[in-house]
Amino acid sequence: MTQRTATDIDVDAARYVAQMDRDDWSDEQEEGLQDWLALDPRHPGALLRAQAAWMSLDPPRPTESIPLDAPKRSGWLSRRSVFAGGGAVLAASFMGALMLGGGTSYATSVGEIRRVPLADGSIAAINTASEISVTLEDAARRVSVEEGEVWFQVAKDKQRPFVVAAGRARIRAVGTAFSVRRRVGGAEVLVTEGTVEVWADGAEGHRVRISAGSRGFIADNAAIKQESAEPSAIDRTLAWRSGKVDLSGDRLDSAVAEFNRYNERKLVVANPAIAGERLDGVFRTDDPEGFAQAVHITLGVPIDVSDSAHIRIGALGR
Amino acid sequence: MAAWVTEYVIPHEKSVRAWLARHASQEDVDDLIQETYSRCAALDSVDHIDRPDAYFFSIARNLLVHRLRRARIVPIEAFAEIENFQDEMRPSPEHEAGDRIDYRRMLALIDGLPERRRRIVRMRKIDGYSQREIADMLGVTESIVENEIFRGVQAVQRAWRDSEAQTEARLSELESRENRT
Repeated sequence: MTQRTATDIDVDAARYVAQMDRDDWSDEQEEGLQDWLALDPRHPGALLRAQAAWMSLDPPRPTESIPLDAPKRSGWLSRRSVFAGGGAVLAASFMGALMLGGGTSYATSVGEIRRVPLADGSIAAINTASEISVTLEDAARRVSVEEGEVWFQVAKDKQRPFVVAAGRARIRAVGTAFSVRRRVGGAEVLVTEGTVEVWADGAEGHRVRISAGSRGFIADNAAIKQESAEPSAIDRTLAWRSGKVDLSGDRLDSAVAEFNRYNERKLVVANPAIAGERLDGVFRTDDPEGFAQAVHITLGVPIDVSDSAHIRIGALGR
Repeated sequence: MAAWVTEYVIPHEKSVRAWLARHASQEDVDDLIQETYSRCAALDSVDHIDRPDAYFFSIARNLLVHRLRRARIVPIEAFAEIENFQDEMRPSPEHEAGDRIDYRRMLALIDGLPERRRRIVRMRKIDGYSQREIADMLGVTESIVENEIFRGVQAVQRAWRDSEAQTEARLSELESRENRT
């Protein structure tokens, strides 16, 4: 196998794109891809072109009208994309898995969203700017959420409980699905399937069970709050798993804070008078400008996108 | 990045290819196009590029000049022509409206695929099902779905090249099939 032709390379690139289009793109595959990309200066270009080829079959996205008043989730809003979050696989994810003292660490950069299959069959979906480490022992499966937010789909294994540590918070599951998010002053838990048991480290006597459809907050002072939530609210909160921000009557300032988790280019509400305006719609986490355009149209406020570091919403003149 | 390429670069690929083909062999053109995309892939941001077509063309042109210089067998006039080309590349504003990919053409391309491939690509792209969901619904393995998608990507790759190259690809495919038997 000497010099490969451009046609051969296109075939390889198409194969990678088809593989990446699946839900179960693994670290090993990512490594293989990175090796391939480094092999020949034509490879990154062939991959980019094949990604663009596949993308050209997506229905066009209307740029002008965004149905913000109707809560209907229509075609383009729900479309899926491999590129959602973090941009092309090309640019992001040189991270891979890092072996540390018997455990495996995973980290994502800003805007990156990764699904990682764990060795026990569980799945971890890791949100933007997050870090976890995983240690699978005979007696227990231990995960530590160092930073950010993670959703776990836990494979059933009664012999080995799945225990997540997030700061002082502890969450124990056998076979369920839930998310954990580190926040100021504690950790938030959202249960999407089954039941989990939560407590604070050092306060093992006080344990609370949280079932599907509920959310809990384990504060650093060991207080535990629990409340039930609408199933749709939980789905919306976890829309990041498919690279989306799903708003339903959310305040502008909290929507802006949400987008800013995913992007280096920050949204700024320049007019405090509109911070409490309510918004609806589904947006891509990596498209703050698209969101700003929608705000511009719905609220009739000016936006300024001329700065590459910031997008100002509600800026008054220049 | 891929979205930017889909929207702004791909519509011009054919004309850049056609221009390169006047100075280089078909093989070299294919290589140069891939290398040009590689340069784009290395960009951190495309925000600063207000004329993607001209940008793409100038990268391709520089790579071509570089390659010809290395080959040292090109008459000097060829360089003059290459250096002067930039201006011709600028389409007029009324030209630009027609430079977007026509989605109806993409739909026609999907409809032209063999039955199962067409169905799978439609389910993935238009209905938004995941590969796994499609496999479940059609009662086939995920690798069959993945393979059909792979063929679908190839169909678009081919459509983006000029018709001449398309014929060539078909010919070489036929040839390789004959050689195998």
